[in-house]
Amino acid sequence: MLKCRDVPAEAEALLDGELSFGQRMALRFHLFLCGNCRRYLRQLRQLLGAVPHMHGEASDEEVDRVLRRLHDHSH
Amino acid sequence: MTEPLNDADELALLKSGDQVAFARLVKAHHRALLALARPIVGESEAAEVVQTAWIKAHAALKNFEGRAALRSWLSRIVINEARMMLRQRKREVFLDDLQPEGADPLADRFISNGHWGAPPANWHADSPDSLLTREELADCLLALLGSLPPNQRALLELRDSDGLPFDEVCNMLGISASNARVLLHRARARLFALVDHFEETGEC
Repeated sequence: MLKCRDVPAEAEALLDGELSFGQRMALRFHLFLCGNCRRYLRQLRQLLGAVPHMHGEASDEEVDRVLRRLHDHSH
Repeated sequence: MTEPLNDADELALLKSGDQVAFARLVKAHHRALLALARPIVGESEAAEVVQTAWIKAHAALKNFEGRAALRSWLSRIVINEARMMLRQRKREVFLDDLQPEGADPLADRFISNGHWGAPPANWHADSPDSLLTREELADCLLALLGSLPPNQRALLELRDSDGLPFDEVCNMLGISASNARVLLHRARARLFALVDHFEETGEC
């Protein structure tokens, strides 16, 4: 039986697409019974969805600097 | 979060050499690419590596086939440039292939029978975007990222920020798959614990 303690690692493997059918079923069964682990998985999904945007956009100055060097390079 | 990228029209503009579209591309990805280069070549060289990567990307865009997301494509170019920079500097080690020290950041949240002792807080955010709209939390997350060991940072950037396949990330960084799994879990668990703590206390 899967314990809550195992869920963080299993949840990541699920999101990384690394669980077999049987492992997915075992996790799903645990999640069906356990609200805390459902919440953990939902919030982990949210967090990993935010990671690509965590660094934010570059400032106009940073963009200008890159473009100026690019321009110098091509002339 | 405005990201018109990989949109067919935007891609067509980029491939036709549209400079305004290229500026948008730089704006959207420059900081993430810097964050990827930093753990590998260090703070002082990261800007140079990413600048060279932009020059290469600009020249190669017309051949971009759109099979990968632009961000993944750009991050591969950055890793190549980082590798070349290290080779020129005669630095052989890319990153440590070492297991992290200390306990799993979530270990003390469970009690001896394996159940949650301190279950996750109920986060206010209901989407990835709304997680980052609170500036303080976004700053806390960036500060934590900067404090992670370089190998954990590089893995998190490539896998979760740039969306590269796990196996490719392991090959790129020269880290074994079993270690990479542990390292990546450590990094994610630290981020999770930080957001959880912030949701409860309003502080980092």
